[in-house]
Amino acid sequence: MTETRGSTATPERARPARKGEAGGPLARASLFYRQVVAELRKVIWPTREQLTTYWLVVLVFVLVVIAIVSLLDLGIGWAMFKVFG
Amino acid sequence: MLTAFVNAFKTPDLRKKLLFTLFIIALFRVGSVLPTPGVDAAAVRRCLDPVLQGGSGNSIYGMLNLFSGGALLQLSVFALTIMPYITASIIIQLLTVVIPRLEALKKEGHAGTQKITQYTRYLTIGLAILQSTTIVALARSGQMFQGCNETIIPNDGILTLATMVLTMTAGTGVIMWFGELITDRGVGNGMSVLIFVSIAAAFPTSLEAIRRQQGWGTFIIVLAIGLVIMAAVIYVEQAQRRIPVQYAKRMLGRRAYGGSSTYIPLKVNQAGVIPVIFASSLLYLPVLAAQFNQNAGWAQWINANIARGSHPVYMIGFFLLIVAFTYFYVGITFNPTEVADNMKKHGGFIPGIRAGKPTEDYLHYVLSRITAPGSLYLGLVSLIPLIALVLINANQNFPFGGTSILIVVGVGLDTVKQIESQLQQRHYEGFLR
Repeated sequence: MTETRGSTATPERARPARKGEAGGPLARASLFYRQVVAELRKVIWPTREQLTTYWLVVLVFVLVVIAIVSLLDLGIGWAMFKVFG
Repeated sequence: MLTAFVNAFKTPDLRKKLLFTLFIIALFRVGSVLPTPGVDAAAVRRCLDPVLQGGSGNSIYGMLNLFSGGALLQLSVFALTIMPYITASIIIQLLTVVIPRLEALKKEGHAGTQKITQYTRYLTIGLAILQSTTIVALARSGQMFQGCNETIIPNDGILTLATMVLTMTAGTGVIMWFGELITDRGVGNGMSVLIFVSIAAAFPTSLEAIRRQQGWGTFIIVLAIGLVIMAAVIYVEQAQRRIPVQYAKRMLGRRAYGGSSTYIPLKVNQAGVIPVIFASSLLYLPVLAAQFNQNAGWAQWINANIARGSHPVYMIGFFLLIVAFTYFYVGITFNPTEVADNMKKHGGFIPGIRAGKPTEDYLHYVLSRITAPGSLYLGLVSLIPLIALVLINANQNFPFGGTSILIVVGVGLDTVKQIESQLQQRHYEGFLR
């Protein structure tokens, strides 16, 4: 399931258990990197269709909010200008 | 898709929530424009116009103004916006790790969490007094708008100044309440929604400034960059690592329960946009502190390096802070021990891994590995537009940087999803299939 050196034991125990495999910081970093890549391979990425729908929906939502806020600001700004000069 | 918007307004309780949120947003905007008593609003307007015309040419305030949606420079009642609240919650959450008493409170459950929230509110008020004093002092000494000789505060008696500080502090308290009201009775997370609104309010102005200064070509490039980044953000936000969970079949009386298989969705970016908000508001603190003492060596260094979003020192600091905060925030929001315990209680297990401690270790292992690319992504996405904007020489319009796009898209996505799930409870077809 997880990428470790040699054995299939859980990652926490695997490293210090084997003699001479503890390695320096560089080796540890590369192990971590390989583990990250292994986990990333199991990630489920959104499909193109999902991406387009989400993109459109978020775009519409953001534009609607910007429009509402701009209108509000115009109205409020006009009122403030009248009141405070 | 448009029918979903109509459906959202047809559902009575959802309509109520949406309208309530809109109402709070309207109040929030009114307060952001309403001048604080003692301020000469007309003088502020005369000083402000050249600043707005030149985009955010005055770079120090461009950034300060980003999260306030223009409220700060107008010296309005809500000039401080939610910044003190955000800063206070960062501090309290950091302290939870350090101070055993707070940690004990957090483990107490609901009652403890409420007490922590109460502490956050007190700290917010404290920070608000500090920040409003800074701003009032700046406005009085005329440093708020450099190169503008108007008297912003005509009558600077101690009573007037105290009233101003009091008003701004009270304004912060009201905003804090607004945020909590939206979280409780509206749509989305109140704190994020209010930041979202502030940024959205600043968008048209900064886009217009880009168009006027750089012409249509740059304007279109900036828009295109924004849309591409938006797609990238959505792509990563939707990515999940699904950890399979199998539930054992149980006989309770004569009926069989469970026996189903589900999964725990771990997002690549489990932390959302909160780390970005935290990092940028933390970097805003030294800039504010430097205003107290503008001639000191350290203050000048801060003004030269951190106050501008395009400076390498700022970029590196921002990136590192985001990565650190991502790990930190995932650490406090997702608790592998709790999840493992719950699974054990309900007879669930991850195939190939024993219940209890090994499950906890495994969850922790996956989470820490998957957060590494997640945090790098957050950091990079908030930097790429900065770099791109520098390349096409539009860097003075910092408000249109990666931070604002991340926050806008992240909050937009969360809010839309929340509306979506409420629609689905009512068996309507949502926006997203």
